[in-house]
Amino acid sequence: MNELMGYIAKEQKDAVISNEITFDELVFTVKLNKLHGFIEFLKTDEKCLFSQLVLISGVDYPERKERFDVVYNLLSMKHNQRIRVKVLTKEEVNSISDLYLAAAWYEREAFDMYGIKFKGNKDLRRILTDYDFEGYPLRKDFPLVGFEEIHYSEEKRKIVKTKINLPKEYREFDFMSPWKGNLK
Amino acid sequence: MMSKLEENKTYKMNFGPQHPAAHGVLRLVLDMHGEVVKHTDAHIGLLHRGAEKLIEAKTYTQAIPYFDRLDYVAPMNQENAFALAVEKLLGIEAPKRAQYIRVLFAELGRILSHILNITTFALDVGAITPLLWGFEQREVGMEFYERVSGARLHANYIRPGGVHVDMPKGLAKDMYKFADETLPKFIDDLEGLLTDNRIFKQRSVGIGIVSKEKAIEFGFTGPMLRASGVAWDLRKSQPYDAYTDMEFDVPIGTTGDCYARYLVRVEEMLESCKIMKQAINKMPKGDVMVDDHKIAPPNRKDIKTSMEAMITHFKLYSEGYHVPAGETYSVVESPKGEFGVYLVADGSNKPYRCHIRAPGFAHLQALDYMSRDHMLSDLVAILGSLDVVFGEIDR
Repeated sequence: MNELMGYIAKEQKDAVISNEITFDELVFTVKLNKLHGFIEFLKTDEKCLFSQLVLISGVDYPERKERFDVVYNLLSMKHNQRIRVKVLTKEEVNSISDLYLAAAWYEREAFDMYGIKFKGNKDLRRILTDYDFEGYPLRKDFPLVGFEEIHYSEEKRKIVKTKINLPKEYREFDFMSPWKGNLK
Repeated sequence: MMSKLEENKTYKMNFGPQHPAAHGVLRLVLDMHGEVVKHTDAHIGLLHRGAEKLIEAKTYTQAIPYFDRLDYVAPMNQENAFALAVEKLLGIEAPKRAQYIRVLFAELGRILSHILNITTFALDVGAITPLLWGFEQREVGMEFYERVSGARLHANYIRPGGVHVDMPKGLAKDMYKFADETLPKFIDDLEGLLTDNRIFKQRSVGIGIVSKEKAIEFGFTGPMLRASGVAWDLRKSQPYDAYTDMEFDVPIGTTGDCYARYLVRVEEMLESCKIMKQAINKMPKGDVMVDDHKIAPPNRKDIKTSMEAMITHFKLYSEGYHVPAGETYSVVESPKGEFGVYLVADGSNKPYRCHIRAPGFAHLQALDYMSRDHMLSDLVAILGSLDVVFGEIDR
């Protein structure tokens, strides 16, 4: 794994920001504008041959300027190797749906959950949330209970959305010990 | 004979979320040209329960039941993935006996899931009897789940550090009998009904063919991938738990159609029986949970006598254990394919981000490609052979 890491870092040294091996997994952090070329290299190069896209996730770090981490997990069956590629972005990333057919829905999910736009994805619309849902649920500033609640209104004979009103407050238990925990 | 004007017009039809053949809640908007499907647009998310957001608000122990409810036909395989991810971050390893128990129940889960898939696939194409026979066997399997964990379906049994409690006396013997006699006989009967059945073959041979390259491109894993001819099984190539100790074969298909997927699943059930028997025979004696009381709860007897044990128990079940910062992607070979958990921890007692990689998500994406130029009833057969469970796709 070390050789592969060295090889990729050398071949793509203008794209790679950092690389490491943690918990026996290869992780690369790449520049945002060089992402597509880097992944194409990983897919086609003889020593890499990462033929399968396994997962595209987003992670939200709101305190950072580039608040989202888009993480690509790839698998090479030929070399029995996995690799993780991360980019940091504020809101937009180049889509890799032309390289991997599997990327389409994963990018839609990251868009739906975080609001990360994928340039070049021909069908970027919501996938998991409701049809006229507003907001991006998995962001850290989106509350756990959401903003709206729905119920069936007898007078209007349809489903209506109202602002959320939880009569019993969400019980937040702070079990951290006072001398070790989150003292704010 | 359609006039030139009507040749390219397609008719939009809704294959609604409530449909006996939709395998859960799936809404397909089909563009049909007569009886032939031209384009499929799958609307998923009807079972979206916000599992990932909820997991971020719970401690690691509280998060385990969410994994049960993902692929709700074979729950313990999902817990296994999460347990492996947390163990990697914590830097611990489950004791040997726990690993064998995990393998045993993972294979039992594989059998349960394949029984459900094959019999409901047969139901979709018209055979009603296999369903009734198969669910009788699933009842036996769920009885094993209940004996070991207390719940028939959502076991909450496999935890980071091992498994929760040891197997009760007599369970191993009953499971051996199940894997040795009952199940192979059932598979024999099932094959007698379906494998050489003219109608079944007409409905599934040559339907939904996926070539090797396309299968890899679409992110197929598990039996879908193996039926297309790619020899890839995570239990062999990236083994985890006690799979290095088990001897088994991996069935590979050749044609990549629905019939091949059916055959691969039947053979996998037989292989799983083999693995179950080996796991029972080779199971070592010992602990089932790691010794470290910062992670594993102490013995109930100790709680009643020792003050420290009581305090540790309290702290574990209220605050939970802290997992050092890091991230990992752990996979298991679940019955549907490669089930993975991408876990980002930040040093606190709650996961920072837990993304669940469901195999059905990638498979359902390919439905459009697979059902192009097939008829509507073939679409039903393809959907049946895809083995989609909406719990894991929608989370």
